[in-house]
Amino acid sequence: MNTKKPDVWLALCVIAGALVYLYSDLHMPVMRSGDPLGPRAFPALIGGGLLFAGALLLVETYRKARAEAAVRVRTEAAARAPSEAAPRAPSEAAPRAPSQAATLAPSEAAPRSHDDIRKGRHQTVVLLAMVVWTALYYTAFEPVGYLVSTAVFLGGLLSYFHRGHYRTNLLVALGFVVIVDLVFSRLLNVPLPAGILSL
Amino acid sequence: MDSLHGILHGLAIAGTPTHLLYTLIGVFIGTMISHLPGIGPSAGIALLIPVTFGMDPITALMMLTGIYYGCMYGGAVTAILLNTPGDAAAVMTVLDGYPLARKGRAAATLAIAAVSSFIAGMIGVTALSFVALPLAAVALHFGPTEYFALILFALTTVSALTGNSLAKGMIATLIGLALATIGIDLQSGVPRFTMGFTELQDRVNFLVVVVGLFAISEVSRMVEGTMGGTLHTVKVKGKLWFTRAEWKRARPAALRGTVVGFLCGAAPGLGGTLAAMLSYVLEKKISKHPEEFGHGAIEGVAAPEAATNADSCGAFVHLLALGVPGSGATAVLMGAFIMYGIQPGPMLFTSQPDLVWGLIASMYVGNIMLLVLNLPLVGLLSRILYVPPGVLLCVVLGIATAGVYSFNNDVFDLYMALGFGVIGYGFRKLDIPKAPLLFGLILGHTLEQSFRQALTLSNSDPRVFLQSPIAAGLLVCSMISVIASVWTNRKPSKAFQEAEARIEETKHLEAERLVEEPR
Repeated sequence: MNTKKPDVWLALCVIAGALVYLYSDLHMPVMRSGDPLGPRAFPALIGGGLLFAGALLLVETYRKARAEAAVRVRTEAAARAPSEAAPRAPSEAAPRAPSQAATLAPSEAAPRSHDDIRKGRHQTVVLLAMVVWTALYYTAFEPVGYLVSTAVFLGGLLSYFHRGHYRTNLLVALGFVVIVDLVFSRLLNVPLPAGILSL
Repeated sequence: MDSLHGILHGLAIAGTPTHLLYTLIGVFIGTMISHLPGIGPSAGIALLIPVTFGMDPITALMMLTGIYYGCMYGGAVTAILLNTPGDAAAVMTVLDGYPLARKGRAAATLAIAAVSSFIAGMIGVTALSFVALPLAAVALHFGPTEYFALILFALTTVSALTGNSLAKGMIATLIGLALATIGIDLQSGVPRFTMGFTELQDRVNFLVVVVGLFAISEVSRMVEGTMGGTLHTVKVKGKLWFTRAEWKRARPAALRGTVVGFLCGAAPGLGGTLAAMLSYVLEKKISKHPEEFGHGAIEGVAAPEAATNADSCGAFVHLLALGVPGSGATAVLMGAFIMYGIQPGPMLFTSQPDLVWGLIASMYVGNIMLLVLNLPLVGLLSRILYVPPGVLLCVVLGIATAGVYSFNNDVFDLYMALGFGVIGYGFRKLDIPKAPLLFGLILGHTLEQSFRQALTLSNSDPRVFLQSPIAAGLLVCSMISVIASVWTNRKPSKAFQEAEARIEETKHLEAERLVEEPR
């Protein structure tokens, strides 16, 4: 049941989001100039659909959890069976277990080790740090300028993800920004912000 | 203009030096992108749309289309050499491609994949040329009622058939439709769901969503790859050609794969993954050596590769003739069409014959170019596999940023793209398919307009959708696809599950072997 938690949360978030969407739709000004439906009707259908989809996900999750519980009970019974009735059980009960277990997702079929959990947490922290780093880069994008902000941004990422290769990282960061700037500014006539270099 | 004249006219257009050059650039970039694990055709096209700003629409669309089928062509390389499918459609190729590569037949397997793809591509484009025009002629009689039903059918099929859960497919589609309602309503002039942001009045920028969902979010996968250290490449060695016996086994498989692939592609929502899977299962069923499948059967490479490439041609049938995309990548292409002010659909054949026939003809030319690129140069091109993922993710983020910013010269778009990147990561972790969201976003506007026009013309009588036989038929088909999905208590197909499980198992064994080797 525990592995289904994210889906339950997702369903609840979708239902909450649908309610907010429908509330905004309800408070939208209406102007029906030759249009019998107005701007509210279609979004109302979408909001209703989202509510239905959220509810459907809850039902799906409940059904899957029940089915998995039933499989688990059968697998445990099959595992006990050889010791209780060794001569006749193997051909019937035992072969079913692996095929049913195979239908479960890897995370459901086998419990994750401490190492996996630690690695997963580390990846989440790194990804969160990347999002913050990228948001900072976007904040500095116009005031600092494309060339400087991108070189610093890429330099930071490369020094973490491609550790120890200082010369290569420097060349990649600088080479990339110069080439992209030339392509966009000269070839495509789409100038990227100059920022502090325009002074 | 009939189909044959159309093809000849198109060849004259596609044969000009500029168009040849940009088709070559497109297929080359597509091949390179397909060699980058995690970056699929949708992300590849989205990343390069900004580069085509300022180009003539025909040239730009030839290049973007080249990227698409170039990606489908080259998807086998990572599957065969890296045990990692370049995109979901290449999952089945991994099953036999990687074992063949481990047996020292990497070069021959790549050659079989390239030739099968070429055959499928050429047959697929020919079928596209002769099927699209009659279909467009039928679609010319469609009114808003039929269009509403057609788009609804495409959306329900995609919701029902993509991913592992009907509810999640529906959620993704409806989020896409909800995003499409953001902005000023064209009929009443009322701003909807803009939350006070003036930037949203002109609707959510499709490019921002695509780059965020498909390119930025894929960076997270690369981060996981970098930290997991699971990529083990088989080097391309030996003579780059297959034996006569291998070809004898692969040829019929490729032809059957082509038929399966084209039919799957021509049905909206089925997609290349299902095409590859069906063709693989078919080959295994009819093979005289089914026990070889999964251990290095050449048919297991030829059939899914042909199916994937024929599917990409089939997907163009309804994109060009009906204005309805068939997959995530064709939805991105449709967005590119719209950005250039071109509405794909039945009128395209009469209003833009140069574009539509030029594009189709460029696919013939592109297929030949791809064969040349993929046979002698595969050893050289596969060197891109050795680019460290840490460097690659930086390059992807850099290109995505420059591309998104250059669209409107607005930092708001960058924040939006980052937001959609985070949403895309959430979608991946929660197993929600992304393609239906894109379908909803791209088709949402037309769906709403058709819905409102149909009801305006019928004085708000909803029975109008049942009075037209075509619309009623399509609505019944939509209902059937949803009911069938619920009825079968949908799970990922057994073949697909087994494929993914086997890839994971092989990777695990490889990792263990590498850990043990230094001892």
